Amino acid sequence: MSESLVRSALNDKLKEMLSEVNNFHLNSSITCLEILKAVIAKKRENDVIILSKGHSAPAFYVILSELGLLSEEDLKSFANLDGLPSHVIRGLPFIEVSSGSLGQGLSVANGIALASKLEGEEKNVYVILGDGELDEGQIWEAAMTSSHYKLDNVIAIVDRNFKQLTGKTEEIMSKEPLGEKWKSFGWEVFEVENKAEKILELLFELDKVKGKPKVIIAKWE
Amino acid sequence: MSKIIESFREAFGRALVEIGKENENVVVLDADVKGSTKTIYFEKAFPDRFFQIGISEQDLISTAAGFAIAGKIPIASAFAAFMMRAWEQIRNTVARDNLNVKIVTTHSGFSDFMDGSSHQCLEDIALMRVLPNMKVLVPADAYATKVLLKRMVESEGPFYMRLGRDYTVKVYDGEELEIGKAEILREGEDVFLIACGFMVSVALEVAEKLKDLSVGVADFHTIKPLDENTLLKIAKKANLIVTLEEHSIFGGLGGAVAEVLSERMPKRVIRIGTTEFGKSSRDYLALLDLYGLSADKIAKRVAEAVEGF
Repeated sequence: MSESLVRSALNDKLKEMLSEVNNFHLNSSITCLEILKAVIAKKRENDVIILSKGHSAPAFYVILSELGLLSEEDLKSFANLDGLPSHVIRGLPFIEVSSGSLGQGLSVANGIALASKLEGEEKNVYVILGDGELDEGQIWEAAMTSSHYKLDNVIAIVDRNFKQLTGKTEEIMSKEPLGEKWKSFGWEVFEVENKAEKILELLFELDKVKGKPKVIIAKWE
Repeated sequence: MSKIIESFREAFGRALVEIGKENENVVVLDADVKGSTKTIYFEKAFPDRFFQIGISEQDLISTAAGFAIAGKIPIASAFAAFMMRAWEQIRNTVARDNLNVKIVTTHSGFSDFMDGSSHQCLEDIALMRVLPNMKVLVPADAYATKVLLKRMVESEGPFYMRLGRDYTVKVYDGEELEIGKAEILREGEDVFLIACGFMVSVALEVAEKLKDLSVGVADFHTIKPLDENTLLKIAKKANLIVTLEEHSIFGGLGGAVAEVLSERMPKRVIRIGTTEFGKSSRDYLALLDLYGLSADKIAKRVAEAVEGF
């Protein structure tokens, strides 16, 4: 499953799906596709994925259809009254928590990670963040909590596409030096090109890093 | 005030330890106020199940949501006023996903008298009551705090429990209290006082003062879901209804009562509570008196209302 998913070309399908809804969050979804493919390919049964940047729901749905978990009809129902919700909600395949409001996913990930440590379980919690989302103060509250509790089962992936709603990230609210920020909060930082194969390879490497939360900054060139 | 027996927070802290012994799934999360909320007792008894999140209420609530998703029963505790900065997290994650998160705040109403308007919380019932799935509890005394806390932990879904700081006057003596069921503490026909929290004991004092009138008192400890049946029974027999709360008169207990009665049994309702921010005070009861929430001032207002009816 993982091989074919990582290599699948889903951009056209995503564009087609969103062409009917004025390209709703198209950019956010396009740059999130590769990350989601890699994370879903890496996910063990017990692991949890949190799509904190809920705006990328369309990318997630396209992947679910590729996996046979949603039909073509489902994709066409996007944002219809009885169809797929515009931002992910609890109850969809893989989705443990609703999102759409930015900045909350990392805290939720910490809660799940702390509970699994308490139970002595092996469980990775992957949380996908937007770079614009990092403006939210709660992200940095949560980043402190992850490192305070040495949550090496928390893996954050930042979709570093250098864009947020109304412009370029460095013009709206500068993020750089982004890696240094995470590092100073006690995280192990990795940077990688936003390509599914490369992210997947790195995700396997990360399992060997213990004692610290880990963040991948996935750069869209 | 010789009847003061135990503080709300002491009752909460001690009951938490009992609940922790009975239920291993319970975890407690704190925003660096454990000494003030008394969750410190739980930390001492169960250090592995106590999580310090720091002075960050938004992170506190969302982390609690994660615990609930993982099957734990998280009790997220902080001061009422500052928990409200996590309202959007409570709305969008806890309430929207109907998660089993129990939010317990202390220092609500005017009970943090010394700390003044920034720390006093007079809006939280309204803010929590408006959320779908959320249930809202306001215990009247130390005993009710303990009983309702247990009931809350046994019930599934999101809850908000609002506690004062230190003052509780004994209202109950071993009664069975149930979530969603109001307690009629005293029957009356001229006036019925409907109260929550510390104001329940004040209501009993008011009833004693108004010897010439037949005054009933009910404790509506569950603001949501409101016990509409008991409310309608009260409205049927009483000429005048007065709500008492250490909260804004907009959107709290008074608002809830008025909403139900205006739809189902129109009746005159006087809402007694606040409409402004508080002041710093060295004395809790003096502060209540300043805002018209002492037994003397309420009794005067009720007597005047009955006369002018």
